[in-house]
Amino acid sequence: MQDTASPVLTVPESRRLSVPGVSWFTGFARKKPIGAVALVVVVLLVLIAVFAPFIARYDPNFVFEEVNPDYKTSPTLAELAANPDIGSRLVVNGLEGPSWEHWFGTTRSGHDIYARVIHGSRLSLIVGLGASAIAVSLGLVVGVASGFYRGAFDIVSQRLVDALQAFPGLVLLLLLVQVSEPSVRNTVFAMGVIGVPTTTRIIRSSTLVVQSTDYIEAARAIGATNFRILFRHILPNIVSVVLIAFSIGIGAYIIFEATISFLGVGPRGVVSWGKMVNEGRANLELHPWLTVFAGSAIALVVIAFNFLGDAVRDVLDPRLRGT
Amino acid sequence: MAQYAIRRVVLNFFVLWLVATLVFLAIRVLPGNYATQQFAGLNLGGVTPEAIAQAERTLGLDKSIPEQYVEFMTDTITLDLGESFRTKQSVWSELGDALPYSLELGMLVVLVGFSVAIPVGVISAVKQDRLPDYALRGLAITALAAPVFWTASIAVIFVLKWDLFKIDVANQPHLWEDPKGAIQWYLIPMFAGGFASTASTMRLLRSELLEVLRQDYVRTARAKGLAERTVIIRHAMRNAFLPVLTVMGLTFATLISSQIVLESMFNIPGVGRMLFQSIFIRDYPLFQGLVIITTFVIVFTNLAVDLLYGFMDPRVRLS
Repeated sequence: MQDTASPVLTVPESRRLSVPGVSWFTGFARKKPIGAVALVVVVLLVLIAVFAPFIARYDPNFVFEEVNPDYKTSPTLAELAANPDIGSRLVVNGLEGPSWEHWFGTTRSGHDIYARVIHGSRLSLIVGLGASAIAVSLGLVVGVASGFYRGAFDIVSQRLVDALQAFPGLVLLLLLVQVSEPSVRNTVFAMGVIGVPTTTRIIRSSTLVVQSTDYIEAARAIGATNFRILFRHILPNIVSVVLIAFSIGIGAYIIFEATISFLGVGPRGVVSWGKMVNEGRANLELHPWLTVFAGSAIALVVIAFNFLGDAVRDVLDPRLRGT
Repeated sequence: MAQYAIRRVVLNFFVLWLVATLVFLAIRVLPGNYATQQFAGLNLGGVTPEAIAQAERTLGLDKSIPEQYVEFMTDTITLDLGESFRTKQSVWSELGDALPYSLELGMLVVLVGFSVAIPVGVISAVKQDRLPDYALRGLAITALAAPVFWTASIAVIFVLKWDLFKIDVANQPHLWEDPKGAIQWYLIPMFAGGFASTASTMRLLRSELLEVLRQDYVRTARAKGLAERTVIIRHAMRNAFLPVLTVMGLTFATLISSQIVLESMFNIPGVGRMLFQSIFIRDYPLFQGLVIITTFVIVFTNLAVDLLYGFMDPRVRLS
């Protein structure tokens, strides 16, 4: 009784059971319904990638085999020529359509497509988040430095940016990936580096905008150091631009990785959706499943990241809405 | 204006020099060279170090990097881009073979892209925040999300399944030689590439048009009783279309060298595929030459578009 009488201690009814994340999410969902759906898809993707071994049902590299119905113990040469598998007791259970055992069917080499699609989410996620993070953080250093200090560094770095932007991105990536072995780490790093010119441009121009505002001049007038202006005034004001650049970039990097994997020069030794689309091309007419499922996975994930990026941009910077 | 143009031209040549140097170094950083790559492919066992050294000598690869660089630069300045290691043809004649294919595909892709993007962008802006706007913008993001190679593969599935038309990737006809055959060959790549390029153009046109539609002169046009159609087409579009034109020029310039995927998939012997292959066989002169030429096209298209812009829109001051 005493508790309810004291206004200081009462908790509003609506607040009583709220978990911070949930109330934030409902607010976000009301403002940006499509963005909220995209966020759910992205969270699901992260969960799928993390718990892939539990969801995939099979090992993605396990080769399914079945008893060979045509098996013969000592086939003649003519029989072998007609059917090379005739001498083996087991044959690869490849190019199966979707069934209860194999939800999405099997590949030519007898792998379960569902398991491979699930495991492929890991590479796409690592590549998308990793490359975008690298591009944005390097772009932040170069962009802020050239926007804030100007002078010779600005001129040189901006011409380099021009040169790199005039270069076809895919060609640059093919070059970078070939320099060393095409591992996941190298691919992510190379793609991040290729994104740097774009992020540098964006961050440099918003640094210039912030720098020409009155409060920077005021800060200078009261004798603030460069260091203080940079970290207390400029950086906090371009955080939204950095977050926007990061979230908008993710989808593009996922497509980028899928494209080089499709061309056969992507990271080796991992399951990649782009590579799967390419593998499926050989049997497109009779067995489109590999191409269809892997390609749909890429499209779905990229759509989710793009919509989420759009929503992030609208929320953080309403002036850019719809651009 | 003239001063601005001159400064930009000088700057462009500086950028070209940077690109040429980067390209020269980058392709040499890759492990192996044309000679070793060729012998590695043969894997005959009888390949002696002497044979490789001999091959390197004939290609001029035994010289030091600075020597090669000086030679490359002096040749490039005199517009001599050298001969392809593989075909022994000059890079210019290799380009002459590949460029028409890339131009054809590029033109068709731009044609499809813009004939979809322009009406969609206009409708989306006019019906802002209503159902058609959401639906069309959703479609644009979806088009942006689907990788080109996937849309093209799906299209191939349907064409094969329903036997719509014959996709002949062996003949490689030009549009002017065999229009029907060429169109059948280009049909899927041009739509797959076109849709992928739609999204950004459509979004740009929409935001430009929204900006323009808010201006006073548009209100005046409406107030004097002009039909909405006239207001949009005659008054608003004129100003909103300029930035779109800019993008159009640039898209076309980059398309020439960036269609690696579509050219590989459909066996189109264009510039993109040639670039891609030249990296793998370490054909230094071909790779360097192609990148320098395509970069030249891109930076000068950029300049032309900017100058044109200042010319067509008096509000834009070039400096």
